[in-house]
Amino acid sequence: MATDDRLLESHGSEIKMTEFYAPARQTRASAPIVPASSVTGRSLTVVVAIMCFLSCLTAGFVYLLNQSAAAWFADIASEVTVQIQPIENTDTEKRLGQVALYLAKQPGISSVKPLSERDSAELLEPWLGQTEALSVLPVPRLIALQIDRRAPPDMAVLARNIEDSFQGVTLDDHRFWQAQIQTVTRSLGLGGIAVLILMGAATTAIIVSATKSALTSNREIVEVLHFVGATDTFIAREFEKHFLALGIRAGLTGALFATIIFILLPALIRLVGGNVVTAAEIRRLIGNASLDPPGYILLAIVVIIIAALCMITSRYGVYRILNSRQ
Amino acid sequence: MIRLENVGLHYGQGPEVLSNISLHIKPGSFHFLTGPSGSGKTTLLRMLFMSLQPTDGDIHLFGQNATNVSASRRAQLRRRIGIVFQDFRLLDHLTTWENVALPLRVIGKRVSNYKEDVTDLLQWVGLGDRMYGFPPVLSGGEKQRAAIARAVIGKPELLLADEPTGNVDPQMARRLLRLFIELNRLGTSVIIATHDHQLMKQFKAPRLELHDGTVEVIG
Repeated sequence: MATDDRLLESHGSEIKMTEFYAPARQTRASAPIVPASSVTGRSLTVVVAIMCFLSCLTAGFVYLLNQSAAAWFADIASEVTVQIQPIENTDTEKRLGQVALYLAKQPGISSVKPLSERDSAELLEPWLGQTEALSVLPVPRLIALQIDRRAPPDMAVLARNIEDSFQGVTLDDHRFWQAQIQTVTRSLGLGGIAVLILMGAATTAIIVSATKSALTSNREIVEVLHFVGATDTFIAREFEKHFLALGIRAGLTGALFATIIFILLPALIRLVGGNVVTAAEIRRLIGNASLDPPGYILLAIVVIIIAALCMITSRYGVYRILNSRQ
Repeated sequence: MIRLENVGLHYGQGPEVLSNISLHIKPGSFHFLTGPSGSGKTTLLRMLFMSLQPTDGDIHLFGQNATNVSASRRAQLRRRIGIVFQDFRLLDHLTTWENVALPLRVIGKRVSNYKEDVTDLLQWVGLGDRMYGFPPVLSGGEKQRAAIARAVIGKPELLLADEPTGNVDPQMARRLLRLFIELNRLGTSVIIATHDHQLMKQFKAPRLELHDGTVEVIG
């Protein structure tokens, strides 16, 4: 020990704390251990932004369709029609009045509106055009009923009572159309969800591939981290931070472009929507084509999902790869 | 501290690099690991650091079997070991200060708790004016000192150093040796793999001599 005592004596300075001051900005305690540029390049950001943009568009359009469908459904559900078939040698106009009077006395009906012959003819115009032949055809007469939504009548009982009380009179509660709308809405909704799932799967595949590349290009860093005692959890967190930032950045970019599209959509429809009838059809399909606040919240949810997908996929990707290297 | 029981290693079907090594290194001891080039010094250090698994026998570290341990257990054991690599293994995108602080950051310490310690250590190893420089602009000797600082910053229970004075002048070599001795006095077991006979003359410590895949303890 004499040797090392001499050695210690030969060096004046002991390992003591000095007054050295390290400015915080220079110590960069939070400097990323894994450089962001080696994990998430610009092209990856662009790809994820495009996926988010398409996902936001899909989610937004499905939302618009659902909103329109809900509006149709509400309209149809609150209005029913009574149809009076013409019967030979009877006064249809008189029968119309009798049925209207009967209906006005029934509970749960807020208004009764008999349609004139002209109104009925106008309803057929889109299919038959303007023709004098309508006046000689036995066109059924209609009575439009507004249902009191707070206390709606039992439709089955009402239909049976009408048919029992009047010959050739039927009640159409639009169930067929309601079922059609529900089918169409559900189909479009499921289609939209399927597209979103595919987008999510594609984004996941892209992130898995990017995680592999990131781990390969940062192999040396991962080794050093293991050597200084880093757990796989710590290493995965270092990578997932970058992927989360990528997800948020790309997600917001995609959602921003989708928002611009939805803001401009009404004007775009007017510009490229063709004639008045086409524009009217598009309006019928997706309403006024502008998202309401819940619609924009939906886009924000898409961004959150994309960012979470990026983070979680990269985390498990890193775990899987590190485990396979054991 | 370290117990090797009939440890052997061969790559694939090749000859044994290390053969039937049995050793017991007590806590707080200081050893030089020496032997000719290619005798297996680095291989033995890598096995002690669990980056290489023996093909035969068992290695016990800190009273635990360190052969075929899980990743999380290995990480926990490595936190008790400091290692200095021959090729330094510094991260080029981090400053010298950040490289040295890495083991403390990895275990979740707050920067305010180690800021001064890292700075003091860097001053002590003569890198005070280089602490905010990046490894690519450091000389070989400076990198080596940074690597040593990183290995000892966490006050490890075991320090493994592979040719730690290979790239520094004799004066700095003495200074670094003094750091190892100081750590050893504080309770750290030290194993230094070296060819440097001058260094070994400066401090009397047992030598683990490797030749023909076997080890002999001298002194």
